[in-house]
Amino acid sequence: MAGFFSLLRRLYLSLYNWTVLFGWCQVLYFVLKTLNESGHQYVYNAAEKPLLYAQTAAVLEILHGLVGLVRSPVTATLPQISSRLFLVWGILWSFPETRSHVLVTSLLISWSITEIIRYSFFGFKETFGFTPSWLLWLRYSSFLVLYPTGISSEVGLIYIALPFIKASEKYCIRMPNKLNSSFDYFYAAIVAMGIYVPGSPHLYTYMLAQRKKALSKSKRE
Amino acid sequence: MKVTVVSRSGREVVKGGVELSDSATIADLQEAIHKRTKKYPSRQRLTLPVQPGSKERPVVLNYKKSLKDYTSGNSETLTVVFKDLGPQVSYRTLFFCEYLGPLLLYPVFYYLPVYQYFGYKGERVIHPVQTYALYYWCFHYAKRILETFFVHRFSHATSPLSNVFRNCAYYWTFGSYIAYYVNHPLYTPVNDLQMKIGFAIGILCQISNFYCHIILKNLRSPGGEGGYQIPRGFLFNIVTCANYTTEIYQWLGFNIATQTVAGYIFLVVATFIMTNWALAKHRRLKKLFDGKEGRPRYPRRWVTLPPFL
Repeated sequence: MAGFFSLLRRLYLSLYNWTVLFGWCQVLYFVLKTLNESGHQYVYNAAEKPLLYAQTAAVLEILHGLVGLVRSPVTATLPQISSRLFLVWGILWSFPETRSHVLVTSLLISWSITEIIRYSFFGFKETFGFTPSWLLWLRYSSFLVLYPTGISSEVGLIYIALPFIKASEKYCIRMPNKLNSSFDYFYAAIVAMGIYVPGSPHLYTYMLAQRKKALSKSKRE
Repeated sequence: MKVTVVSRSGREVVKGGVELSDSATIADLQEAIHKRTKKYPSRQRLTLPVQPGSKERPVVLNYKKSLKDYTSGNSETLTVVFKDLGPQVSYRTLFFCEYLGPLLLYPVFYYLPVYQYFGYKGERVIHPVQTYALYYWCFHYAKRILETFFVHRFSHATSPLSNVFRNCAYYWTFGSYIAYYVNHPLYTPVNDLQMKIGFAIGILCQISNFYCHIILKNLRSPGGEGGYQIPRGFLFNIVTCANYTTEIYQWLGFNIATQTVAGYIFLVVATFIMTNWALAKHRRLKKLFDGKEGRPRYPRRWVTLPPFL
């Protein structure tokens, strides 16, 4: 019975990883194609559909951690995926004025390359039980460049969206109301930006430690 | 007797060790370390060394026991592992600081014109529920402070200084967050019946909470000792941590009466924290009182949240 569940788990995770990988490959393809043909202003519109699907599918990763399908701690997964979803749905999808900015291109390229490497790494691991050494190296080295570019683009886009958030009053809840609460999306976005200040170095050092551990382990083997 | 004091890495903390009489206690050793290292006893955690790579937890030395209790056979030497716990404050200081914040901050939102700075220029109408909420809130935190000084007996004398900042941040932030909405000029009060039901539940639970603390106080001797005992009487006959139960339900009462999202968020967070504490205590008591070797068996009880847990 345990063997059957293990097989089912591997099947499901393989399917999940390869499907999401396909989504991110589409994102990268559309970004590069549009960038080459039309310019950075049209990048988001071209890649929107696969981007929304692929990034929203990452919610399942939190679920995988919660139910114990994968070993990765929810505390590490949750903030990363939340910030990504906030950007995709809360900024780019909600405020079309931000979509034509050049930072969208750098954001999508950083994200898609990172995710293509990551999902193919997990895909190999679940499907074949091993990962090629070059992929392992990429998985734990590409972030050195792609994290700073991705995070800078994220913060930049939130900053660019601020005047539009303030003007539109979108997602704001004002008093008086029965539940005696209010919510200002503008200040929430500022708080989100503020979280990046301690969050980014923390994440970067965490990944450096992971890199050291993973690469030294692969050397021993 | 010669005592060698080393750090967890094996480095000597007190050069040349400490010479003590054979009748010396761990407290005497701590005083001797204090003289040599300037680290006062409550900062020190002394344990027996464990084998490298061993998974077992080290034995923490009890300050009341004699050094002889920890030496093997007739050995005249003892090696202890010293860990500096960092700056410490008494639990009374910690609780006083964390409860004083909400007690002082809440009335600021009620009495002072703070809402002018948030862009509300008009005349503010104060609803009766806002006044009752102020009395309730201040009574609650005044009660907590008085209990800290006159009721509670602490098993640990001190707490790390960093906990003061963490706990104060938690209480002061939530205090201001709730006060802001309950005293807001655009606050929408609940109907009279709901308010009365809420405050009635709250007051009943506050009185019950005080009685629970008296019961817990009587389980310990004035010095804070007494180890673990099965709490009995009043709500403790049905709930392991009746003190947390009454605390949770009194906040529920407050929220029924005032109805703010901020208050309910605080309730959820506090419930989560207290439930974790209660589960840990419940497990500990069940493990300790297992009915074997003459020990009493822990009775079947709710953990902390009847009728749910």
